[in-house]
Amino acid sequence: MKKIILVLLLTPLILYAQHSKLNLECKTCHSCDIPTKENPCLGECPREELIRINQKPEEAPRIIKIDRIKETNLYGPSIFDHYAHSDMSIMSGDCRICHHYNPPGNIISCSKCHSPQRKRIDISKPDLKAAYHRLCISCHREWSGEIECISCHKPAGMQEDLTLKSINKKSIHPEIKAPIKKVYNTNFTGGKLVTFYHEEHNKIFGFECSDCHKNESCVKCHATNKSALKQSPAILHSKCNKCHDTEDKKSCNLCHSNVEKPVFNHKQRTGFDISKFHSELKCSRCHVTKGKYTGLKKECKNCHGIWTTDNFDHKVTGLILDETHVEFECENCHTEPTYQERSCNNCHDDKSYPQNKPGKVVKR
Amino acid sequence: MSKQTRRNFIKTAAVAGSVIAGLPKKTDAAPKNILSEDRMGVLVDTTVCVGCRKCEWACKTAHNMPTTPLESYDNREVMKKMRRPDHTSLTVVNEYEFDDYPEFPIDVKVQCMHCDHPACVSACIVGAFSKEENGSVIWDSSKCIGCRYCMVACPFQIPSFEFHKAIQPEIKKCDFCFSRTKEGKLPACVEICPMEALTYGRRKDLIDIARRKIELYPDRYINHIYGETEVGGTAWLYLASRKFEDLQFPKLGNSPAPGVTEAIQHGVFAYFLPPIALYALLGGVMWINKNRKKSEEGEE
Repeated sequence: MKKIILVLLLTPLILYAQHSKLNLECKTCHSCDIPTKENPCLGECPREELIRINQKPEEAPRIIKIDRIKETNLYGPSIFDHYAHSDMSIMSGDCRICHHYNPPGNIISCSKCHSPQRKRIDISKPDLKAAYHRLCISCHREWSGEIECISCHKPAGMQEDLTLKSINKKSIHPEIKAPIKKVYNTNFTGGKLVTFYHEEHNKIFGFECSDCHKNESCVKCHATNKSALKQSPAILHSKCNKCHDTEDKKSCNLCHSNVEKPVFNHKQRTGFDISKFHSELKCSRCHVTKGKYTGLKKECKNCHGIWTTDNFDHKVTGLILDETHVEFECENCHTEPTYQERSCNNCHDDKSYPQNKPGKVVKR
Repeated sequence: MSKQTRRNFIKTAAVAGSVIAGLPKKTDAAPKNILSEDRMGVLVDTTVCVGCRKCEWACKTAHNMPTTPLESYDNREVMKKMRRPDHTSLTVVNEYEFDDYPEFPIDVKVQCMHCDHPACVSACIVGAFSKEENGSVIWDSSKCIGCRYCMVACPFQIPSFEFHKAIQPEIKKCDFCFSRTKEGKLPACVEICPMEALTYGRRKDLIDIARRKIELYPDRYINHIYGETEVGGTAWLYLASRKFEDLQFPKLGNSPAPGVTEAIQHGVFAYFLPPIALYALLGGVMWINKNRKKSEEGEE
């Protein structure tokens, strides 16, 4: 009994702790002064401000049979592939595009706000049937023009097919093949072509799909009429201007050119060759300021700190220093901050690199 | 039409007319014309409608009108040309495509608007039309004489006439499912709409909801509730994403339509002039006939 009382006492505290992260006034959601679990006296759904769901597609059910609405006997329930839809939603606004209201905690069911009955007192929000249909049909209509009931429902009385052919597949959506490069043909007179290396942004610059494809509608890929999707320069620029300055008139030709541009070359652009040791690294490992990639000094200690004989194993360079040389400070041989130069002159008058080596060459 | 023939009507009108003519005060024909505070309405959100035409099927089914099976309504070919409600379908959905957003054509359901100050009720000379307490404007077949004044008076050109029928042709128009709502059911179209593009409720509440929608989604809706003030207000209200003229809604003023028709009618029929004139004419004809008969008899 004591335990129960303790739990009861703590529940509001726990809830408060979750809610407090939201930076909201209690009155935003509750109409009374002391809301209880039994009577939360919730007001109108405040929608977007309150969405707190971060579930992975795998955490939700694979297939959902939507059969709560039975008022008309025209069509059977709809078998909804939740996985496929949630998997794709990452590119277009996440879970919230459907679960548009959810306080912290579990997913609340649609029928909590949307009445299963059409004849009801509060008509300010659509009933459950309409809430479902508005979500489904709006998208499906836009990308395939399909609004027929039978595209989702079997006629009433017919056995529905629960064994979706694709049920064993990870996703019914075919694997998305990201392009290696895309060449945009623009109207900009100073350079019509913009060569966009998609793979580079993805693999080297380390962007996740959803970093750029955030509020994509399904139509982006599924439209029957692609020309309708032609975007304005402002929209196209908005995808790039998080990192590239699209306002600065002087920097237009960084992307715009009359010929296709080659892949980004760090040495050519900045003078610092990264092909030898840093080619596998994501840019953000060194360029830590978020958003814009600012230049760094051409010094190793930008990232590595100051190397000493203790914290640097010279073997990684392909040369094991011999007993004599292993004791020296780095600067004795490498006289400049990129460690590119190898000089023997500090000690030797008659020796020079690479004819003479201060140790054994090994395969890197 | 069935019980009251034109001849009977004239007879009764003659008797009644002679009685009324003797009265000093002008008396209105008294059709039921109630404007209840709690009258119902429907809010049509054209940004939600997908043009599935289930409402057309439900309407015909509810009114025992012949219809093709429900599946046949998936065929969108019929939407290629504009249609009007008529005696075969009391409501139709038209689709409008716009070049700036071809993916999303706008669908508009058309039916009787159930005016707050219905011109048909006012124009009907036999009081066959009435505005009921729940907002419906309905028509009584037993009173109608088939004059079709309602068709001319209606600012939305809704009432249609069964011209093809020689016997007992009827006026046909949406009756707001009066018999269904009386039993506490929803209008058939509202009940079937998969998107709830049609919301049935107290007209007052619907206007509040519509206003709130416009306020919340100013990009989605233009700031105009069609039917809120048009011809003095209608029970059916519309929200849209673009100008209503683009969707072939008639551009109407805010004063009630009967204002015009009543002025004409009351002008023409003032002091019971037409019946008196008619009697004078008929009397004249009778008198001539009588004279002719007499003279014929005389000749014999």
